[in-house]
Amino acid sequence: MEHTNEKDAFRQGAIVFIFLAVLTALEFFIAVAIGAVILLVAVAVIKVVLVVWYYMHIYKLNRDATGDHHSLEYKTDTFRLGLWLFLLSDSFVFGGLAVARFNLLGLTRPHLNQFLGLIVTSVLLLSSFFMNRAETAMSHGDRRGFSTGITVTLVLGALFVAGVLGVEWPSAIAEGVTPDASAAGAVFFMMTGMHAFHVITGLILLGTVLRKGRMGIYTAEKHWGVEAAAVYWHFVDVVWIFFYPALYLVGKLL
Amino acid sequence: MRLFFKSALWRGLVWQAIGWLAGAIFVTLIRLVMGLQPLGTFFFTEPAWVFGSLVGALTFLAGSGVVSDWYAWARGIETPEHREDPDSWEKYINVSLDHKVIGIQYTVTALFLFVTGGTFALIFRTELAQTGLQFLSLGWYNTFMSLHGIVMIIGILVGIGGVMNYLVPMLIGADDMAFPRLNAFSYWIVVPGVVLLLSSLALGGFDTGWTGYPPLSARAPVGVQMFFMGIIVAGWSSILGGLNLIATTLRMRAKGMTAFRMPILIWAAMATSLITLTAAQLFGLSFQLVLFQRLLGMGFFDPSKGGNPILYQHLFWFYSHPAVYVFVLPGLGIISELLPVFVRKPLYGYRWVAMSSMGIALVGFLVWGHHMFASGMNQYLQVPFMYSTLLVAVPTGVKFFSWVATLWNGKIETPTPMLFVLGAIVVFFLGGLSGPPNGTVATDLHLTDTYFVVGHFHDTIFGGYVFPFFAAIYYWFPKATGRRLNEKLGKWHFWLFFPSFIVLTLIMMRVGLIGMRRRIADYDPALGLVDYHIVMTIAAYLIAIATAIFIYNFVRSIKHGEVATGNLWNSRSPEWNVPSPMPVHNYDEPVEVIGEPYDYGLPGSQYVRFGTKE
Repeated sequence: MEHTNEKDAFRQGAIVFIFLAVLTALEFFIAVAIGAVILLVAVAVIKVVLVVWYYMHIYKLNRDATGDHHSLEYKTDTFRLGLWLFLLSDSFVFGGLAVARFNLLGLTRPHLNQFLGLIVTSVLLLSSFFMNRAETAMSHGDRRGFSTGITVTLVLGALFVAGVLGVEWPSAIAEGVTPDASAAGAVFFMMTGMHAFHVITGLILLGTVLRKGRMGIYTAEKHWGVEAAAVYWHFVDVVWIFFYPALYLVGKLL
Repeated sequence: MRLFFKSALWRGLVWQAIGWLAGAIFVTLIRLVMGLQPLGTFFFTEPAWVFGSLVGALTFLAGSGVVSDWYAWARGIETPEHREDPDSWEKYINVSLDHKVIGIQYTVTALFLFVTGGTFALIFRTELAQTGLQFLSLGWYNTFMSLHGIVMIIGILVGIGGVMNYLVPMLIGADDMAFPRLNAFSYWIVVPGVVLLLSSLALGGFDTGWTGYPPLSARAPVGVQMFFMGIIVAGWSSILGGLNLIATTLRMRAKGMTAFRMPILIWAAMATSLITLTAAQLFGLSFQLVLFQRLLGMGFFDPSKGGNPILYQHLFWFYSHPAVYVFVLPGLGIISELLPVFVRKPLYGYRWVAMSSMGIALVGFLVWGHHMFASGMNQYLQVPFMYSTLLVAVPTGVKFFSWVATLWNGKIETPTPMLFVLGAIVVFFLGGLSGPPNGTVATDLHLTDTYFVVGHFHDTIFGGYVFPFFAAIYYWFPKATGRRLNEKLGKWHFWLFFPSFIVLTLIMMRVGLIGMRRRIADYDPALGLVDYHIVMTIAAYLIAIATAIFIYNFVRSIKHGEVATGNLWNSRSPEWNVPSPMPVHNYDEPVEVIGEPYDYGLPGSQYVRFGTKE
């Protein structure tokens, strides 16, 4: 699974992104045309598997754990395990919110701006692609590509936050979906708010990594910080892959 | 004293106060600008208190310096991997990266919390000795009752942090935890959390019990918000501590320590950490949702807005039931760890005992509904939850069987740690026997919210946690200090503590069956329970005296205890085969595991050897 050269890596990242984009479009049409919840779940799971395997490189956890406990490689593997344990823990927060959503709203959903939802989802997916570009660039020692990739990711991430907090929230409130009006409003603001909080922390991590990259701290062999920021960023994307259909697509309008 | 005012602890607390005040003033100013009511019942408004408390927790972390290395890394500055601690007591009130120092910090904090929570219990226990209200108002009774519960729970979690942090790296032959800075962070975040928790006393208290069910918690005084914030902040200790322990166990074990050569305590640590890592998030989430419901009017649990109070109970108990396994699994691990040492026989059925910890933890995820039989949740869920609950008895029974079989025909010695181990087995047995009536729907509907439940869980928690915790302190105290606790005072401690406790909980169960309800300040004299309550109150005071003896012994033995630097208990475990107190970096020579951990009494068998270079 390790790439031999940067071109292969680019091809793989691009193909995965195309799959994700097509699946997102498919998801949208399933919701509009059939409304079959089971299909929506299936599509979301496929998307998550793609991201977790090709962008987050979960298989790296399975590396052989022998060797000197003080070597850099062994320590990096330990860091990676710690990060994944944290993501496992964090996913229980989002899982709990999803449980709350389905317990309170069942197969109904609040009235939201569908077009905007699709836009912010696409922006976040696209940011994951550029994050993957930045990380593979660094692992091949390409500092320029790394800087460009991270900068584009940062801009797209900021656009996502602006779209959700700056446009989606006011428009939802204008539609009468306010935090204190109904359980639906409460669920919507809590889910998007908790997710946006994670996106913003992700942006801070990306900014830190970009600055350190510019300082020349990372090398092709030693760039755990970049990998950690990337995996975290993709995780935030994974959460949205579930939250987008849960908020926008599943069920009937309230 | 001058050293104290320079310590991380003091700096953190000062910064917490500053941050808290600044946050509260900030919100108050915003409210002024927006034309909202700027001041509330307790001077500041509720949003101001809550936001201030969050800022205060963050400024505590910044002020104490526990995040300074991470901040340096984020700015691209390298820091040394190890930090040397000063060789005096001041290292315990400053940020240290040494797992042994952190373990002791945790343990002492836990003892402080036990004394605090115990004092709350004594206060309302005294009130209950007679019918009618003597010296507490209903509000204060509820506040003390609620705080007793939650302070003890945090105390137990912190105490577990102490035992685990101190022992896990040593028992697996490692220098330290996998993430020493995260480890320090996990400890230091408890301190602002505890400050928040106790600050609820000054902000009207709260009357919800430690469960904080809405709708009651949605209209309790501001104190309940401090309770929520305290848990949300301190809860990170448990989550990140669990993360660290799993990574440490998976990655840092000595050469030759395969899964089935790990000490039982390590298995217990893994099982516990799996629960705290994952389920604990839902504890924080359920409190967070109520917090937002109060602040922003979000209707999660408000039926008039389409919310559902039962949802809270599901989210809450999904953690809070497995949490009791978090409390008891390390304790049961300590029992299995210490028994073979004092019986001089191999632990019976090692593999089964190891797997039973995991079994309890995994089945524990599926039983939360048994707290809700009387709540009005879907009836078709009752029977599956009943059977999954009774299933927990199977792995727990495996442990009992192993303990009894290990004791069988052994050469039993009874120094103080062994007394507490035996006491733990008896008390946990009582707790275990009184469990199934609560887990069975038909009987539970009668027992819900009575003192029977109170007696049951005090037995399980004391048997599964408090007695083993004391055993662990008596057992490993020489490892930390090079001196042992006084045996005579230890015997006094045990022989006062154990019978009083048995009397207390058996009467709790008895009055519960007759009709004494839990969580209430007063009861009908016609129930005829006054005599029982007087005996319970006397027993509670005897327990307090026993604990005071222990604290005295603990403090005195640090300086004046009998010197014990060798393998005091004749143990096979690696930490006892190096001198006490433990050297700074644990093992100068690498540890290699070459045998089974509990083969006591088998001639020529060896568990570890030192100093084989690869």
